[in-house]
Amino acid sequence: MAVPLPVRRWHADSLIKAFFGSNALIAIVVLALITIFLFREGFGFFGKNLANIRLYRRAGLEYVDILRDSANSHAALSRSLNDIRKRAAATESADTLSRFDEFSTAFSDSAENLNGLVSDAGDKAVALRDALALLIGDVDHSGENSEQGAATPPIDEAGTIAALRANTATFATTAAALDRTIRDLLKTAPSFQDAITKRAFEYWTKKVDGYLASLPATTKKLQAWNPERPVPAYRAVTSFLFGRDWITASFWQDWYGIIPLFVGSFLVSIVALAIAVPFGVASAIYVSEVAQPAEKRFIKPYVEFIAAIPSVVLGFFGIAVVGQTIRHVSQSSFFHWVSFFPISERLNIFTAGSLLALMAVSTIFTLAEDALRNVPRGFVEASYALGANRLQTVGRVIVPASLSGIVSAILLGFGRVIGETMVVLLCAGNRIAIPDFTQGLGAFFQPVHTMTGIIAQEMGEVVRGSIHYRALFMVGLALFAITLATNYAAQKLVARYRMSIG
Amino acid sequence: MVIMEKETEHPAPPFEPQKVAEPEPQEKAMITVSDVDFSYGAHQVLFDVNLEIPPRAVTAFIGPSGCGKTTLLRCFNRMNDLIDGAHVSAGRIELEGHDINAPDIDVVELRRRVGMVFQKSNPFPKSIYDNVAYGLRVLGATKKSRINEAVEKSLRAAALWGEVKDRLDSSAYGLSGGQQQRLCIARALAVEPEVILMDEPCSALDPIATAKVEELIYQLRENFTIVIVTHNMQQAGRCSNYTAFFYLGRLIEFGATSKIFSNPSERQTEDYITGRFG
Repeated sequence: MAVPLPVRRWHADSLIKAFFGSNALIAIVVLALITIFLFREGFGFFGKNLANIRLYRRAGLEYVDILRDSANSHAALSRSLNDIRKRAAATESADTLSRFDEFSTAFSDSAENLNGLVSDAGDKAVALRDALALLIGDVDHSGENSEQGAATPPIDEAGTIAALRANTATFATTAAALDRTIRDLLKTAPSFQDAITKRAFEYWTKKVDGYLASLPATTKKLQAWNPERPVPAYRAVTSFLFGRDWITASFWQDWYGIIPLFVGSFLVSIVALAIAVPFGVASAIYVSEVAQPAEKRFIKPYVEFIAAIPSVVLGFFGIAVVGQTIRHVSQSSFFHWVSFFPISERLNIFTAGSLLALMAVSTIFTLAEDALRNVPRGFVEASYALGANRLQTVGRVIVPASLSGIVSAILLGFGRVIGETMVVLLCAGNRIAIPDFTQGLGAFFQPVHTMTGIIAQEMGEVVRGSIHYRALFMVGLALFAITLATNYAAQKLVARYRMSIG
Repeated sequence: MVIMEKETEHPAPPFEPQKVAEPEPQEKAMITVSDVDFSYGAHQVLFDVNLEIPPRAVTAFIGPSGCGKTTLLRCFNRMNDLIDGAHVSAGRIELEGHDINAPDIDVVELRRRVGMVFQKSNPFPKSIYDNVAYGLRVLGATKKSRINEAVEKSLRAAALWGEVKDRLDSSAYGLSGGQQQRLCIARALAVEPEVILMDEPCSALDPIATAKVEELIYQLRENFTIVIVTHNMQQAGRCSNYTAFFYLGRLIEFGATSKIFSNPSERQTEDYITGRFG
């Protein structure tokens, strides 16, 4: 009698195969769609950014910015005078101080004409920019003046530019007058008794000389400026990747430079890793090589449990406890010797970094402990049998044998930290600026904004499809590239580590 | 035949089981085991073992799996300290008359004097040179010339120098299995131990590599006290002077190898050696 083929079982088999296969397929397709979407939305940025920069030149905003730089340098010098005044208050006589006050008022007044020039030219340039933008229609200014679109006035582009460029001559005469005024003023400068103040003032005088020397160069720049000169296409990319300003929704020019955000993310991650790596790796070594079984049973789940704390709760804790504590500590008289204490902001790089460290510790601990535990027992026994003590065995055999595993644990910890959003949004202070590195370590106690934070904060408010919206997508892509590279490096290292252990 | 090519300098010697002359038990025993009980936690694995291991001779421990021979071997350099709950629960183990489990014994010094070679060859993932130098370095040797000298001496003693002298800085993992095991022996020799413990050193090797290691053991006998655990009867017969037969955690019989193999006094020994069980 012929036995019938077991058709049914084959059928069930293929069903199971189809089920798991389709799940895998869906996962891959969804991931691919997300990636494609990211790229599609992001790459539109470059075209818009280029148009943005071209308009910046065409409308003469660039020209005004040359003027403005000069005015800003003058304003910075005035501010330095205020700093000197603060220091002098304690040491100098009332007479010197009042003469100094007169001097500094005269100095800041000397730029009145220059400032007037900048603000007049600025108004003209902005008006031209807005008119051109409406005409071209492809640069979005977040819809702030869309209702005026109906009554487009006729644009006198050439006339406006000519009027702007007439300012070059005005600037030259203003600069010459400024030069005279300041040089006369310097002769009336009071002299100080205190050596430090004196030196500070001499240094300031030198800077003023430098400023005055730069005025003719500025005039030359203004003369050389040409609104017709084409903006090369690569500027759209370089102004994003190397731009030092992230300025959005301003009445003047918007800049989308990733550097302040990248530096913020990077510094926060550095602080987090600097704290988390020693803790994570050391506790992994302790648990895998030293701890009693009872300790292991306690420590391991406990550290891994930290990963279960929602990051928003950690951020909350960071604002309420960590930031406050750091500021209190920095104000205590015990730490007066630290040059950058007391700190002014309680939410800063260090606050965010120390909280992120908490999250990274559990990642680094878990993976490093795995790597350490996978060191073949034979190595450890051989080391002990040769008379090595525990420290020597850990230092010379176990850690070197698991080093690539430990490094990949650190890399994955870095990936975790740089992609984290909630904690940095709550605790990093959200000031879009590159920290002032002249303060040394004090740079770590300044507020920053981060790549993740800016996306979370601004994405909800931008107009869909606008340049700002696309710029945020580009930031997301940059973040994606960083974490992808980190993960790839970590995987490569793990693979090498498996091979070397055999 | 890859291995053959690698080891051309020493063409595989058909290792001849020479008639081992029984040295007279002229000197005091190197290791004395008296009334030792050993437990892993509550589980006792050695019962009342008494044994005297003679110096400068090869003593083989034989017996079926789980009979406690490896455990006893690992007692001699206190490797069992690494296992939680493992302890000698009664009796004494003495190295030249000193109790090795006494509280004032320096384990590092004990392990320098009692070296060990493991079942699976376990060179460190370092260069050949660094492997051999490891023991010296952890014991505090820093002088380059002294380390160089010791590395060469121990590689020569392990009959490996000719094969590796041109590639001391390459990874130990480039060596064949038999070479790796001889490297492990060289590594153990470098700290100039008096006793070498070998835990089934040939169980993972092919017959040619086994022959080389056995030949090496035979040569080392002149300068070292060797204790070897083996499952291979022929191996015990070929290269040991004395043989101890263990069964279920007890020492059944101990004596000159020729006597154990030709004329055992215990019935169990005879059954095991002739292959009736085990």
